[in-house]
Amino acid sequence: MSRRAGETILIGDEIEIVITHIGRSRVKVGIRAPRETLVIAREVKLVRDENLAAAVTTPPAALSSLIARLQPAQEPGGDSKRLQPPGSSLQNQRR
Amino acid sequence: MPDFETSSLGRIFYEPEWAIEFPSGLPGFEDRHRFAAIKFEESAPLVFLQSLEDPALCFITLPILAVDPQYRLEVGGEDLEYLGLPAGKQPRIGEDVLCLTVIAIRESGPTANLLAPIVVNLRNLKAVQAVAPESQYSLQHVLLPEEAPVCS
Repeated sequence: MSRRAGETILIGDEIEIVITHIGRSRVKVGIRAPRETLVIAREVKLVRDENLAAAVTTPPAALSSLIARLQPAQEPGGDSKRLQPPGSSLQNQRR
Repeated sequence: MPDFETSSLGRIFYEPEWAIEFPSGLPGFEDRHRFAAIKFEESAPLVFLQSLEDPALCFITLPILAVDPQYRLEVGGEDLEYLGLPAGKQPRIGEDVLCLTVIAIRESGPTANLLAPIVVNLRNLKAVQAVAPESQYSLQHVLLPEEAPVCS
């Protein structure tokens, strides 16, 4: 299917895709779809699924082995200090 | 200093002015905007990104350079705007921004999301998860034992 700027594609009865602008390396499209239809870029969907898989709800048992694996790799006095995030200097406590 | 009871980390204490703000949330968690980055001595170099709005939401992350010291950060124009950074210039990791990779613990072992790093502007603590559409980086980079991150 070949389209010019301003032309439209229909998917089923409820989804409409308008080619609004054609640039040198990018195309802008307008999408009209039912409210319940998720419209996102493919890579955002992949990252979304990955985030849902990565979100920790309870401390996984695998965490301690990950920590054990990472810790010997640390070098004291390295650049790691500079990479410390805001809040890292807090004396956090677990109870 | 306010404290916050979390599901994964127990009770945490944080300085409100050090809270990280995601103006547009994260993909999948669009309505979660405030997080605290927490590092424990006993679990370093892991950085926990704990939601300050949802006690049950916490991400395990690593400084991205600890996973890939050659990592090339690419932040799109819209994300630079969210971060309050000038357009047309890529921020430097460690100088302008903190860059974290989200770790997923899978049955096959931990993986790091190098495709969409968390980028935090160190000057105003605004943050985004920067999704690079043309990036060659992996969404599920396997952290092999021989690739144990080295902070150097």
